[in-house]
Amino acid sequence: MKILIVEDNPELAIEVKEYLSGSGYICKISKNCEEALEEINSNDYDIMLLDLGLPDGSGFDVLKSIRKTDSKVAVIIITAQGELEDRIHGLQLGADDYLTKPFALTELGARLFAIIRRMHGYTVNQLDVHGFSLKLQDYKVSYGEIPINLTKKEFDIFQYLVLNKNRVITRLQLTEHIWGDILEVNSDSNFIDVHVRNLRKKLDKHSPIEWFETVRNVGYRINV
Amino acid sequence: MKIKHQLAIFNALSRLLLVLGLWLMLPILVEKVVYNHINKSLLEKKQKFIEHLDKEEINDFIVRNDTSETYSSFSTLHSEFLSLSRVPSNGKINQTLFVTEPRIIEDERNDYKILQYYFKYENTNYLLEIGNSLSEINDLTFVIRLFFIIVLIIIVVITFLADTFYIEYLLKPFYKIIDTKIRHVNEPESFDHTPIKTHSKDFQELDTVLNQMMDRISELFKKEKQFIANVSHELLTPIALLKNKFENLLQNESLDDNAVDKLVGSLSTLDLLKKIIGNLLLISKIENNQYEANEMIDFDVIITDLVTDLQDRIDDKKLSFKKKLEHHCSFRGNKTLMHILFYNLIVNAIKYNKPLGTIEIKDGFLHGNYFLSISDSGIGMNEKQQQNVFKRFTRVSSDQEGQGLGLAIVESIAQFHRIGIEITSEINVGTTFLLLFPNEEKIN
Repeated sequence: MKILIVEDNPELAIEVKEYLSGSGYICKISKNCEEALEEINSNDYDIMLLDLGLPDGSGFDVLKSIRKTDSKVAVIIITAQGELEDRIHGLQLGADDYLTKPFALTELGARLFAIIRRMHGYTVNQLDVHGFSLKLQDYKVSYGEIPINLTKKEFDIFQYLVLNKNRVITRLQLTEHIWGDILEVNSDSNFIDVHVRNLRKKLDKHSPIEWFETVRNVGYRINV
Repeated sequence: MKIKHQLAIFNALSRLLLVLGLWLMLPILVEKVVYNHINKSLLEKKQKFIEHLDKEEINDFIVRNDTSETYSSFSTLHSEFLSLSRVPSNGKINQTLFVTEPRIIEDERNDYKILQYYFKYENTNYLLEIGNSLSEINDLTFVIRLFFIIVLIIIVVITFLADTFYIEYLLKPFYKIIDTKIRHVNEPESFDHTPIKTHSKDFQELDTVLNQMMDRISELFKKEKQFIANVSHELLTPIALLKNKFENLLQNESLDDNAVDKLVGSLSTLDLLKKIIGNLLLISKIENNQYEANEMIDFDVIITDLVTDLQDRIDDKKLSFKKKLEHHCSFRGNKTLMHILFYNLIVNAIKYNKPLGTIEIKDGFLHGNYFLSISDSGIGMNEKQQQNVFKRFTRVSSDQEGQGLGLAIVESIAQFHRIGIEITSEINVGTTFLLLFPNEEKIN
């Protein structure tokens, strides 16, 4: 999977690249509209992360030009202006998803997974981890053939951790993923713990889950 | 009171005063004019009489009246008389006097204006008296007065009506300016720069000045919008950078526990910063009217969604949640904002509640206005806390988490939608937030 990161802040671009490279993606960085268009026209990319506020224009323009060509690149718009209208405008112009700054890298990872799954025509419908299967279409988990009854939130947490396997996921990242970008400072991290505890209990009934690690003071990690 | 009413009342009163004054002065004026006229005609008659005077004539007069030494003649209706009499000599020779005296002519007593003229003719002194009856004049005065008052009243009524209509016509552009430029205008997008048609220079000036003011406001709105966009971009990009840096660092296996703790602490500080900026931007955007309020809002759906989302928090405190929405009220507004409003109110109701407490959401009508109330059985607030509750960065108690922006946002959103908020609260009993919806909304 090749990803083009269009971001004018070089440091931020490097951080994103570092995370994505760690997940096995091949990344290249473009600093402005011109570079981005040049790059997308000369090389094949699967996915483009497109910042809207670029020094030589708006990311919307880049998106428009790309959609005029026959390029099939998936576009995730990244912006600091989390306006609903912008979001709708971007999606109308043919963007595949939308992330507002500042976003969690793990959230980006999850969105990428969803896009890739869609690009491949939903052929990947199952995630397997230590004998447990997550059925992505109907939000169900089973151990072998035995179905496990999880709540929606427990399923979301499990899937998120599996998608970001071998990484520590902080409570905050989980909270944001489950409850969205709520503009209230809250103690939701405690509620995450409650859900994770329940999830672990349900999984542990079927098989020991020493791979489902609690990282002290930080969060959780699923090792594979 | 409107200016047209004030002017109409002033005009009517001033005219009535004028009429009253004329009414009172009329007898004096009439008398003066009429008496002048009578005096003049009496003098003319005297002149005529004296001109034709000769011995024969005097004798003729006197002889026919030898009994009284006085000759007199009068008109059939006693309106005029003339008398000539011999008088003993006195010092008033060739003097003309006017007197008003009653006279009895043929047993009829009347007031007369009389010209008295003493003169000497062939060594005999005579007194000539020419009189003109006043009774007729008094009658005439009354008629004139009546006529006068009727005419004046008609004039007052006509001019009053004319004035009222004219003032109304004159002020029309003024009310048009108010309606099209001020009253129904909230955001710069709906500013109307079309000049108002008027012949009054004052209103043209008002219109011009208002247009200039609207331009300035538009400019400010635009600047603020730009500022908000800049702040979002310039502040949120570095936060994103730090956040992603820390997240990547956290994956580093070689970090010791101490470093990890610090990273996690930094991440939550960044999260706080992000949320404060987000909330302040939200308030600015609401106050800058950057949201549209044209979505149909179903309170029941919003609240049900929120409660599903917040169920674990409700369960955690073992709260009982009651929702009694009996009136299906449709409200036009911004869905995202209304969602945030209810989210903040319900989260507060949970946060400040006591374990095993209750949260109750009800609706109904108060003075004809639809209302929604959110009550909790929590710690409550005292008077001072209630007053400060909508101020930014104030918290009811310092041991509660939060940045003290939740209710400030609630207030901004409510003001944006013209929703009134009333708080009733009692320490250790609970707090009720009452949302009072504006009346113009349709209620099904």
